[in-house]
Amino acid sequence: MKNSKIVLVFGGIILLGLILFVLNLVVGSVMAPLDDTLKVLFKVDTDNTLNVIIFNYRLPQALTALLAGAALAVAGLLMQTLFRNPLADPSMLGISSGASLGVGLVILLTGAISGAAISSFGWWSTIGVSLAAFIGAVAVLFVMLAFSARMKNMTTLIIIGLMIAYLAGSITDILKFFSLKEDIHAFVIWGMGSFSGVGTSKMTVFATSIIIGLIATFFLSKNLNILLLGDMYAENLGLNIKRNSVIIILVSGYLTAIVTAYCGPIAFVGLAMPHIARFLFKSSDHHLLIPATMLIGIDMTLLCNLIARMPGLDGNLPINAVTAFIGAPVVISVIMKSKKQ
Amino acid sequence: MTEILKTISLSIGYDNNPVTSDINITLNDGDIIALVGPNGAGKSTLFKTLSSHIKPIDGRIELLGKNLLSYSPKERAKLLGLVLTERPDDMFLKVYDVVAAGRYPYTDMFGNLTEDDKKVIKASLELVGINNLIDRVFNTLSDGEKQKIMIAKAIAQNTPVIMLDEPTAFLDYPSKIELFTLLKRLAKEQHKTIIFSSHDLELLLRYTDNLWIMAPKKPFVAGNSLQLLKDGVIKDYFKIKDSDNEYLIKENV
Repeated sequence: MKNSKIVLVFGGIILLGLILFVLNLVVGSVMAPLDDTLKVLFKVDTDNTLNVIIFNYRLPQALTALLAGAALAVAGLLMQTLFRNPLADPSMLGISSGASLGVGLVILLTGAISGAAISSFGWWSTIGVSLAAFIGAVAVLFVMLAFSARMKNMTTLIIIGLMIAYLAGSITDILKFFSLKEDIHAFVIWGMGSFSGVGTSKMTVFATSIIIGLIATFFLSKNLNILLLGDMYAENLGLNIKRNSVIIILVSGYLTAIVTAYCGPIAFVGLAMPHIARFLFKSSDHHLLIPATMLIGIDMTLLCNLIARMPGLDGNLPINAVTAFIGAPVVISVIMKSKKQ
Repeated sequence: MTEILKTISLSIGYDNNPVTSDINITLNDGDIIALVGPNGAGKSTLFKTLSSHIKPIDGRIELLGKNLLSYSPKERAKLLGLVLTERPDDMFLKVYDVVAAGRYPYTDMFGNLTEDDKKVIKASLELVGINNLIDRVFNTLSDGEKQKIMIAKAIAQNTPVIMLDEPTAFLDYPSKIELFTLLKRLAKEQHKTIIFSSHDLELLLRYTDNLWIMAPKKPFVAGNSLQLLKDGVIKDYFKIKDSDNEYLIKENV
């Protein structure tokens, strides 16, 4: 692909992202006219109910979707290259399952100790759930890191990741079996994913943590490129295979853990976005794929958030239902189009 | 002549079970060696040991006068290049990217190629005669072409030693001859030390001067190929019939 064409495609993806971002602010159960929205955004007109809707709800939600999209998509790219498996995604590390287990534990324990459903604790319950998800995700991440530091073979590492995911999943199911009905409901809602949980209060922490992780990925492109040749070649070229896989799993797992803690386990984005990036740019060069995957991930989550919040849906459509519904046809069409050429 | 690679009572194998012991060899720059032997003889174990993928059980390997294990992975990558039977498998990986990977030990932390790197890559592609494939996708090429690209990668790596594992395995006859010629040129013109393993005994007798022979439960043998043939070592190691061996001697000596 020529450089001019690469710039053009990047431009297109960014433009689409900007349009979707603005639409995310405008569209909702209360439609905000574009000019009013812009006035609110640039502080021309502050005394307005629209001000509250946009700054307290829509803007943080759009920012959350944007950051989560970039993070999950690039985390998926790292996994696919590390494991040289087109079906790899962050869930293969068992991170989302670890997060679910953490949430399940907290929900069951509150129910068992206090006898009341966690949802009755109000604000504390959302903090508790995020924290539990994060601790669960990080715990599994450390187990995976310990294995990857000892193993050169990526296939065995994938199998261990999947087994840990199943193990955490089954413990979660057992916990759910003993939980209160209201709590199971809360758990199911968390599991469906949402970009509205971060809000204004937690945005600084969320955004800073994600951006640190995203910046870290740019330092990995050299090693990711060399992995495409296969482990034996990479090793001969001077790459430390074990140390490299520990670093890649750490970065990918870190991003996934943070997104999962705040937004719930969001599927599909990490699996599919790297494929769109590869097929659009017809490239395997990670210098190109890392920014491309992030931007495409942003477009996708902004689009999904927009659809989940369409007027009449009252913002309650679970993100996980939308991601694959919108994403799968996009992936298929991109692949078919590129095959025809 | 400079001494490049030397082994001193080297013993190789896995988990302290030696496959072969007491290997003593010395290689100079421009030497080209074919490693032959039936399957299970320990050829790939020797390969992996010399490329420091696995550690020797006993003895030592000296690369440019220094213990091989004392080099850092980055330093070693500048001294010893590999061409393996496994091939990169990626839908969009370009020929240029594969050859450029040979510059990995030399580039900065982001892997940016300098003008010098680009010159080396171009020269490597030209040396192997595949400049016309530069923009092609690696996966769409033939086995012979892929082989050449991996060799170009090893040349771009700019190492005094190049090791090739079964480079003739998937090639047709003309490509095999082409490969031998290329390896000989690399040794002669670029003063590379080249070690390759192969099953093509007949071709090796015709095209290479030096053999390393391995067979299960037999000592490691190194020597001139025709001398080994005349002395009956090849006959013994490969279990060749008397009549066939006489034919081979008549054909090659």
